Formats: sequence, structure tokens, C-alpha cells
Amino acid sequence: MKLTDYRGANLFDELVDAQGAIRPYYKGVADKLAGLGPEELGQKLRSLELLFLKQGITFTVYGDEQGTERVFPFDPFPRVIPHHEWETIEAGLVQRITALNLFLYDVYHEQRIIKDGIVPPEVVFGASHYRPEFVGVSVPKDAYIHVCGTDLIRDRDGRYLVLEDNGRCPSGVSYVLENRAAMKRVFPHLFGASGVRPVDTYPSDLLATLRHVAPRENPNPNVVLLTPGVHNSAYFEHSFLARQMSIEIVEGRDLIALDGFVYMRTTRGLRQVDVIYRRIDDDFLDPQVFRKDSCLGVPGLVDAVRRGNVALANAIGTGVADDKVTYAYVPDMIKYYLCQEPILDQVPTYLAWRPDDFKYILENLPKLVVKAANESGGYGMLIGPTATAAEIEEFRRRVTATPRNYIAQPVVNFSQHPTLVDGALEGRHVDLRPFVLWGDTVKVLPGGLTRVALKRGSLVVNSSQGGGSKDTWVLAA
Amino acid sequence: MSPMMLSRVADHLYWMSRQMERAENLARLVRVSEEMLLDDESLGRGSAQEYWTPVLAATAMEGAFRSLHPEPRQGDAARFLTLDLRNPDSILSCIKQARENARSVRDKISDEMWTELNALHMLVTSPEGAELLARSPHSFYEKIIASSMLFDGITEATLTRDEGWNFLQLGRLLERADMTSRFLDIRSQTPGGDSALESLQWGAVLRACSAHASYRRLHGGEISVEQVVDLLLFSNEFPRSVRHCLRRADEVLHDISGTPTGRYSNPCEKITGALLARLSFAGPGEVMARGLHAYIDELQTQLNAAGQAVFEMYVLLPGEVNRHFPRNGRTDALSDWHREQQQQQQQQ
Repeated sequence: MKLTDYRGANLFDELVDAQGAIRPYYKGVADKLAGLGPEELGQKLRSLELLFLKQGITFTVYGDEQGTERVFPFDPFPRVIPHHEWETIEAGLVQRITALNLFLYDVYHEQRIIKDGIVPPEVVFGASHYRPEFVGVSVPKDAYIHVCGTDLIRDRDGRYLVLEDNGRCPSGVSYVLENRAAMKRVFPHLFGASGVRPVDTYPSDLLATLRHVAPRENPNPNVVLLTPGVHNSAYFEHSFLARQMSIEIVEGRDLIALDGFVYMRTTRGLRQVDVIYRRIDDDFLDPQVFRKDSCLGVPGLVDAVRRGNVALANAIGTGVADDKVTYAYVPDMIKYYLCQEPILDQVPTYLAWRPDDFKYILENLPKLVVKAANESGGYGMLIGPTATAAEIEEFRRRVTATPRNYIAQPVVNFSQHPTLVDGALEGRHVDLRPFVLWGDTVKVLPGGLTRVALKRGSLVVNSSQGGGSKDTWVLAA
Repeated sequence: MSPMMLSRVADHLYWMSRQMERAENLARLVRVSEEMLLDDESLGRGSAQEYWTPVLAATAMEGAFRSLHPEPRQGDAARFLTLDLRNPDSILSCIKQARENARSVRDKISDEMWTELNALHMLVTSPEGAELLARSPHSFYEKIIASSMLFDGITEATLTRDEGWNFLQLGRLLERADMTSRFLDIRSQTPGGDSALESLQWGAVLRACSAHASYRRLHGGEISVEQVVDLLLFSNEFPRSVRHCLRRADEVLHDISGTPTGRYSNPCEKITGALLARLSFAGPGEVMARGLHAYIDELQTQLNAAGQAVFEMYVLLPGEVNRHFPRNGRTDALSDWHREQQQQQQQQ
């Protein structure tokens, strides 16, 4: 792999500094990669692709009649995060999930933060994932977000900024584990004495997190993973995690709620379920309470949750915390609940429902990124500088119609990382999604999913829109 | 033995192995048929259509075939049985469904089983697979047969002998019994007369059931209908005979329920037990007296009843669940489609 031709750009480059010199913590891996001839590299890449394909590590492309499954594109050049940077990220993420869980408890109980005038009521009550039905309902250990995937990007100065919190059912962690396993198999020589922190304790940490909220005194609680089913794009991950944790993966039709308890249907009859790691949205959980037409949920499940007979992770109603309008208030929450300054910065955000911001947004659409407050996966988004006039007009119409649903942010030209494109290294934008577990202790998986926008200049890293991923190395020292 | 397993998982495992077995048997059937047709053609004997009609009838696909091909041309039938996704029972459809079932129980099967099934799926859905089928049909079908057998062997060598194993066996055995009886049925309606041709055709049935070597060892080269029927229906030793498959299926069912063999504790055991007794105390004489087709027809009704009883007993859980939710196990195509749509609507 030829590194000498690689150039940084007018933004933060993960590999090289402003003078074009390789950053010291990349030296080890860069030297080893540079030693790979094109033939050997090509061979390794082919065996990587085959490895993923053979194991069926794929995601389904929606809207494709053939139900095509694709391999999530993988780039072999690992992203390296030095120890001291990671310490800051980790502390910042722990601080953030702590504040978010306190916020959720508050919102569903006393609502002090609203009464004290820190967060306006319309922000909370106007969030489409706010669940008024759950005000006053207690959840085990007051834990709402058990698993959080927080997206980070780096600005021009290399500062890590929080782009968004995913506190409902964040996905991607299986790729973190599979990417590492594949790298070890195909590029073993890169690892020698590199000091990369392992990631493989995640499944047992996740299981401990889930067992922690089991409602009854039972040394061996029955924990299950609830999946929407094989047609969901993250099904591979659901099945992977269930297998790694040795728990049952169930669909709604496998569960049955009777007299306030939840059971699964087995060949030996019914068996009580204690904790459900659910990977389906609130809306689909229980047709008796939420969407009536849901065929993925379990009638009576919410009643069992209310009675405290079964625990859900994540809890119902966490969407109010990862709403993109709420996001703008997270620094205030950290100050309010923890009396601390936020460790991680975030992207300045204009809220369309505030009159001043509304005016600014409409006047500056071509310069801004506009996002729907409750969408994810890169959908419902306008990137001003690259949008057509028609797209801009469309968003002008939408923002004007429902201001509460939109926010805008300046375009952050976030960092790039060398990425193999047709045999040569080119800079491509990357983000980072670390995973945080909120259990007996708070654990942050060292690293996370580095997603890379494979199209030149593109800022969209989502797998559904041409994104790939990389192995992420957090160094031990 | 692990104490329990999700009913849906048992159902997926059962169908996964049934579909693999079906794909393998169909591959053998089409391969043998194509070879027969080559002979027919070179001898100017009969038309391809005359040949395929009983094959499609015996495998219960004639109606579907006729509606897609009102005026069939050469090659239509083989294509319909092999790579046509409009045919829900084509080899390709079976392999796709088997893999879909495997995907749903990925955590209950070994990595090696998954890898083999996934590789087979990759072959039959790839352009290379289609190209191989065009260039060398024989090698294409061979590959499918070999892959299914490899899958069976991997299962045998890697899977813990728990309830999941039993449901896999059950699916494979019931399907095998069903397929063997169907292949026999193909020739039950072919007009007799030309004895040379008849023995060729019965030879093809034997080959479609991988039974030609066993037959030759028992009876030499001379092919008689009675002896073919004896081997494929009543043999206690030949692993693809209906009786053999049923005996093993009966054992597996008793293993699942923990009931001693020779007694029954549920409707599935009652059906397989009765059927097994019937096959143990009969021979080709009874079959010929009753008429081959009629006899097989009755047999298949019983085999279907056995499959249905397994489903009701272990998947629907009539005792506990139906009291509250009558019949919510099987679903129709529309609700399947709704479920699929909703599965795709989840965020993050």
C-alpha cells in the first residue's frame, strides 16, 4: 500500500498533520501497511470480502425486489485513537449518558427541569417519541437508556463533537466485533505489539447490563432479544448478539402476555421472560397501547412492563432524549443535573421553532444542514451546499409547515481518513459511533464503529446510503 | 438434553431440513429425467411432454406448471423445476427458503452448517451457477446433491443431540419418505406394454432415489416392479425407503416426548406408529392388489397428517396457548407481507 502519495486536505486528517507528517500513533500500522505489495493486498481484500459473504454478514437493501443482501463495505486501513484522546471521549460519553438518564427519569416523574425553566415544555411534550402514558411509571434501577450509540465527528481542529445520541435501539456494534475478527484473520501481522485494546467483552458486558435490570429475585433471569425479524436490515446483528450472549432471539409471535406476565412459547410449554432486549421501536411493541396494526409486537406487553414484571432495554420513551431538538439542550442538562461543564462539545444547532432561528434558517438554507427531528439513518435530511434548488425549496416548505420538526446546523466539514479506493489511498470522511452500556457500572466499548463515506466528498456515512466501515483501534497506552 | 426450545425455532429447523431434502431429491429427479430424455430423443421415442406430465403430477406441481406454460416448449419443465422462483417448490425456491429458515435460527445451528448452506445459496443465485446449469446440467445437479449431503454430514458431525437435532431429523425423514413415495408414483400411471422401456423407466426411479446400487445388490440387473416397490416402500434396511424413514421418524418423535417406543403419548406418535405398523405387515402384493397409485395416495395422506400433527403439537401448543389465542401460528400471505414491511420500518 503506497502511503507516500497520500495527502491531507483542508480539514482534519486522521493520518497526517498539517505538514503532511504521519501522526506518531499511526506510525506502527502505517509502516506495516506500506510494506504490503499490491498483489498481496488485493488477495487479502478478496479474502475479506469472501469471508463476510460466506458468513452472511450482510444487510438487506430495502426497496429492492430481489431482497438483495449486501456486504457492508469494509476498508482495511484501521482508524487509530491514541490513549489520551480516548480517555476524554470515554469521560465525555459517561457524563452524557448519565445526564440523559437523569433527564429521562425527570421527564417521566417530577419534570423539574421544565419547572425550573431549563428546557421549555414544548421541547419535551412536542417530541414525537415522548410517551405521556409513562409519566409516573417506574422502571427497574431508574435506567432508561441501557445501550447508547453516540455519533461523534471531528471538526477542522480535530475536536470531537457529538453529532447525535442514539438512545432507542442503536445498531452497528456487531460490525465492530466482526470487523475486528476479520482484521485479525486477514491482517494478523498488523496487530503485533500495537497495543490495541480488545473489544470482545462487549457481549458479556451487554448481558450483565441486561441482567442488572431483571425484576424478580432470580439468580438466573430469562433474558431474550426481541427482533422485528429476518427482513430487518439489522437482523444479522440481532442474531449475532443473541448467539454471543447465549440468549434466545425471539419475535413478537414467540411471546405471549398473560395476566401481566410475559412468556415465551417453547416446545415444552410456556416459560416466563424477565428482561427483553428489544430491537423494535416503541410504536410496534404492543398493539393494545401503540400502533394498533403492529404485527411485530406482543399484546399486553406494556401492561406487564407497567406492573414491573418484565424489564425492557431500552425503556419505553427514550426517544424524547435523542430527539434532535432535545439535543440542543444536552449541555444545559449536564450543567443542571451534574453541575459540570460538558466534556464533549457538540455542533451548534438552530431550532426552527424559535423565531430568530427560524428566520436565520430560512435565509441560510444553502449553507446549512437541515434535519428532521425524529429521523435517523440519514433520511429526512438536507445538505444545503450540495442540494439542488428544488430540494432547498422543498425543505423551505417543510420547515415552514412544521417548525418543531426541524433543526439546522452549520455544515461541519468533518475529518477524513485514508481509505482504499481502487487500489490507491484517498481521504474520505469518517465518523465514530462508540457504544455505552449503562448497568451496574457504565462501560464504554473501546473504539466503536468508524463509518466512512465512500463517495468522494460525501458527508453521509450511513450504510443505506453508500457508507462503509473500518476497524477502530483504541491504543492501551 | 436441553429442556426447551422456542416453538418457532423448532418449526424453522424442521422446515429447513425438509426444504434441503426436497431440493436434493428434485435435483436427482431432474438429472435422471434429463438423461432419460436424451435416450428417448435419440431413439425417437415419445415426446418430452409425455415424459414430464407424470413427473409433474406426482410432485404435485402440474397445475402450477400448466398455468405458467399453457403450451410448454422443450426445456420449460426442467427450468420450472430448477431455477424458477415463480414455482414455490422449485429447487431454487427450496434452497432460498431453507436459507431463510436457517437465518432465523442462525444461533441454533453450527457455523459450518450455515456456511455450507450459504455457499449453496450463493451458487444457485449467482451468474456462475446459471452458466454452469446451461453448460453442464449434470454437474449443476451433482453440486446441489453433494451440497445437501455435505450439509447432512456436517449436521451429523457438529450439532449437539438436543431437541433441535431431533426436529431437523424429523423434517428430513418425513420429506424423504414423501419424496420416495412420490417418485414411485411417477410410474404408477405410465401405460405398460413395452417391457424394455418399462424397465428403463423403473431404473430411472431407482436412480432418482439413489437406490440402483442397493437394488442391484439384492436382485441383480433384472428390474421387476414388485421388487422396486418392495425396496422403496418396505425395506427396513434401505435408508430412503418409506418404512425406514418412518421407523426413524417414530424414534425421533419418542425421543422428543420421552415416551417409550411402541406406545404413544400424542397424536403425532399415534399416526407414525400406526403407519409404521401398516408398512411392517404388508408387502408389494397388497400394493399391487390395491393399485400402486391408490396405495401411495393413502400413504401420502397419512404422511401429511403426521407433519400437521407435529406442527400442532409442538408449534401451536394447543394445550396452553390456543385456550387464549386460537390458531395464531400459521399466517396467510397478506399478513406475512405486512409483517415484512413493518420489520423494515424500525429506526436507528
